[in-house]
Amino acid sequence: MNSPSTVAAGAADAFKIYGKDDSEVRALDGVTVNFASGKFTAIMGPSGSGKSTLMHCLAGLDSLTSGTITIGDTNLATLNDKELTLTRRSNVGFIFQAYNLIPTLTALENITLPLDLGGTPVDQQWLDTVIDAVGLRSRLDHRPSELSGGQQQRVAVARALASKPRIIFADEPTGNLDSRMGAEILSFMRHAVTDLGQTIVMVTHDPVAASYADHVIFLADGKIVDELDDPTADQVLDRMKRLGS
Amino acid sequence: MAAPVTRLTIRGVIARKWRIFLTILAVVSGVAFVSGAFVLTDSVKKSINDLFATLSEGIDLEVRTSIAFGDEATAERDPVSVELIDQISAVEGVRLAEGNLLRAATVIKSDGEPLRTSGPAFGIAWVGPDGLDGRTMVEGRPATGPGEVTLDKSSARRAGYEVGDTVTIVGPTGKGDFALVGLNGTGKTTNGGGASIAAFDPRTANEFLGAKDMVDSIYIAIDEGADRDVVMAAVDAALPDGIEVITGEQSAEETAGAINDIIDIFGNVLLGFAAVSLFVSAFLIFNTFAIIVSQRLRELALLRAVGASSRQIRTMIIGEALVVSVIATVLGIVAGMGVAKGIVAIFNAAGAAFPSASLIVSTRTVVASTVVGVGVTVAAAIVPALRAARIPPVAAMRPELGFNSLQKNKRLVVGSITTGIGLVLFSVGIFGQPGGTSGTLGLSAIGAILLFLGIASLSTTVAAPASRVISRILPLPFRPMTRSVPGRLGSRNAQRTPRRTASTASALMIGLALVSTVSVVASSVQASFKEQLQGSVTADFFVSNGPGNFQGLPVSFSERLSELPELSAVSPFRAATAQVNGDTKQIGAVRGSAFGQLVDIDLTSGSVESLDEGKILLHRDPARDYAVSVGDTLTILWLNGTEQRIEVGGIYDDATIAGNWLVGLSTLQAVSTATPTDFFIGAKIADGVSIEDARAAVEKVALDFPSAEVQDQAEFQQAQEDQLNQLLIIIYGLLIISIAIAVLGIANTMALSVFERTREFGLLRAVGMSKRDLKRSIRWEAVIVAVFGASLGIIVGIPLGLAVTTALPSTFITTTVVPVNTIITILIASIIVGVVAAIGPARRAAKLNVLDAISTH
Repeated sequence: MNSPSTVAAGAADAFKIYGKDDSEVRALDGVTVNFASGKFTAIMGPSGSGKSTLMHCLAGLDSLTSGTITIGDTNLATLNDKELTLTRRSNVGFIFQAYNLIPTLTALENITLPLDLGGTPVDQQWLDTVIDAVGLRSRLDHRPSELSGGQQQRVAVARALASKPRIIFADEPTGNLDSRMGAEILSFMRHAVTDLGQTIVMVTHDPVAASYADHVIFLADGKIVDELDDPTADQVLDRMKRLGS
Repeated sequence: MAAPVTRLTIRGVIARKWRIFLTILAVVSGVAFVSGAFVLTDSVKKSINDLFATLSEGIDLEVRTSIAFGDEATAERDPVSVELIDQISAVEGVRLAEGNLLRAATVIKSDGEPLRTSGPAFGIAWVGPDGLDGRTMVEGRPATGPGEVTLDKSSARRAGYEVGDTVTIVGPTGKGDFALVGLNGTGKTTNGGGASIAAFDPRTANEFLGAKDMVDSIYIAIDEGADRDVVMAAVDAALPDGIEVITGEQSAEETAGAINDIIDIFGNVLLGFAAVSLFVSAFLIFNTFAIIVSQRLRELALLRAVGASSRQIRTMIIGEALVVSVIATVLGIVAGMGVAKGIVAIFNAAGAAFPSASLIVSTRTVVASTVVGVGVTVAAAIVPALRAARIPPVAAMRPELGFNSLQKNKRLVVGSITTGIGLVLFSVGIFGQPGGTSGTLGLSAIGAILLFLGIASLSTTVAAPASRVISRILPLPFRPMTRSVPGRLGSRNAQRTPRRTASTASALMIGLALVSTVSVVASSVQASFKEQLQGSVTADFFVSNGPGNFQGLPVSFSERLSELPELSAVSPFRAATAQVNGDTKQIGAVRGSAFGQLVDIDLTSGSVESLDEGKILLHRDPARDYAVSVGDTLTILWLNGTEQRIEVGGIYDDATIAGNWLVGLSTLQAVSTATPTDFFIGAKIADGVSIEDARAAVEKVALDFPSAEVQDQAEFQQAQEDQLNQLLIIIYGLLIISIAIAVLGIANTMALSVFERTREFGLLRAVGMSKRDLKRSIRWEAVIVAVFGASLGIIVGIPLGLAVTTALPSTFITTTVVPVNTIITILIASIIVGVVAAIGPARRAAKLNVLDAISTH
């Protein structure tokens, strides 16, 4: 288990610039941030603030124009595509807003997919813990099309947890769910951090979702403009209003 | 490592089973032709070899005249004297020697009409089942004296005869009536293997078949316990010069081999067609996989995001192709057996009576089918697989980034280079060596393939503007379409994915390019042939055996025609094989005094009559090649070994009917004792005799030659043209199947597009588009794609056809014709193709539930 003081992933002087000259857009404009292991961090900001770009770069899905991204001790810029794939496979978990699952595989096969792809043996005890935590035991043989939206998202959470990654990135994980199901998913994520010692970074624009996190980072125009520890939904909403004004 | 990729692969195929079905169908058709070709040739060859092995079972040795050169199996040998039979019988170790005699003889059916067979009609000498050849007695007894005959059972039945009836048979010496005393069989069958067999006792046969105390060869059985090699040497020692002895096995192998060669030609036609259909299928496969990849963009990106390597993605797509190809190959091999069986059945229905053979699927058939089926499918899926592997993981969240990676291309450059290389190879292939050898033909075939690939790749660039132009021009006859929403949508959709439009159209392009090429060449050959025939035929009548009968007419026919006062000039046309200065040639033999009045050969020097003085006439091409002119001499080596120095009596320009070499009938008769038959007879009406009277006189003689067909000038020309047309119909028929595959391709692409645009269609329906309009827009899109493909095909095919026409020797081609009618037909047909291909997809689109379609997935 990671000690709270270690850094799971971080960005230093991160710039992501699209276009040139007049049409230049700075999606990330000098971001420096560290994500501590065993913590649940939310990244918030208005549309176009660069929060999704930051997450894609942190996860090694996209590359920076300049600056460095580290996962654990590894500088992602030094890796080639194959090494990046391996890093993602063993160190990073993903939960997307929608279209999280491979439609042709069963729930269980989706959960173990990252392990299977890497040829890593399944840690059955951990897998049972994860499956029980998300409450999917009776649904393991079902295809995604036979599951509700909430259930699909729970499978996605379980998949992210299955390989015990160093860090899990969640991109608006509750964006497509109603509030009750959303709350359920967020509780699982909270539980995964508190009780199972996982590290989660979540991009969201829902203050209620952000209130489940240990720490919130606010982004605007590609820069970190504010931070908040142990947030409540009201506090988050308050900061967001100020950003907007 | 392999497990999840395998699982994903198999699940992927199952999930897309209907989409993949059409792909499988396309591969199946190609593989079926490959396996069909092999199964057919293997099975029929086996049964024919078995048949000849049975027939020659009792024959230990065979004696025949030797030939100076050429193919042992098909050579027209001189006969041997019957006296030799007695001499051989006296050789120690010979148990039995009997003469083998086989000549053309037609059975007249009980209704008076000649019996038509798919094979030849023979009269033979047969001592009965105790003799050496493998015929059997099915009913009654063998013929033992004059006026008796046995027929093979199936011919007797088809002719309406039973044992005891009187049968009329027409042989080389004329007509004769015989009592049917029995029915014979061949080996295990009760028919003559497609031929009709009338068997006489040896003496009757010799007289009736006009063999003049000669036989074709002599069969020998040796004493029990005798050493065959010793007997063979003893027989050989007893033979005069120019006569040889061979073993029974060798004889059977030669005969079977000659038939096997014909079956091989058939197999090769099927293989050639397999190549075209697989080439077209490759486009369909490529397209299907390319579309499947772009449809699964997010899924593939998600796999990448959760840790699949690009290699795993690539392996997965190629794995899917592998699964498809294996299924298709297995089905294709089975379908190939059906193809083989079907072809045998068709031939048997036409009376060929292939000995019923069980189908043979050899290892070679399976290996070749698998290599071809799997190879083509996997090769066609490689590019889509590589493209899939390039999809970045971030596309799982932002699909638009993934599409960018799918659209990178260097098509224009690669396409231009491929087209260029293709053109060069093709030109070198057809122009490099006039006449062409198999090497240069292969080169031009590879060139054509590269050319097609190059054009297919280039067509992406023009797909969008071309679609725009087509959608402007095409609807002119149907005005309302241009302005209507469905029309506009259909046309925009054809333009929006140029790559897909182009590769779908390319499949159709290939089929239609081949059709255009063939039709240009064919129309030109046809027009030239017609022109040449009109220029060269001056005879009023032509007599030949009916179509498909290659046996030739007995010489007595032309002899009797010569005696008719109604005709002024009569000449038969015979053919012989000889070597001229060492090269094997077909030489025609005609009556010099008459031939000049029957066929205008455009003589440039010498005289036609010189033929009767034992001189030779030749076409200007060989005259140039051998550097001879009138008065020079050429050395001719005839098949039986006779060598002659013959003086050139004339040189001519028109070889349409005469061929390249002509000698006089007397020249041929002097060197060969082989029983001659006439290919055809030409005749000119005497002055003052009406056409009707002359024809009546000719027809009267023809009554005694039931298989003969009398044609006047127009009928003769028509018959020659019909023969050419028949060949073309077969070629077109084969090409149509490749077009059918292309139709599958369009249907497939449209179905996939419909699936992809589910939400878009839902939206259209939601805002008020009727089902009918939706269908119309899809149909319109398919028509534009089809017309685009057809236009490409015509644009590529016509120049190819013109190039081939130019490359053909001038003796073939005198005029070049671009068949406008065929081209218009192709364009109209392509519109129909589009409409037909769109039926299924349009119906599916119309069935979509509006709410489902627009609700988030």
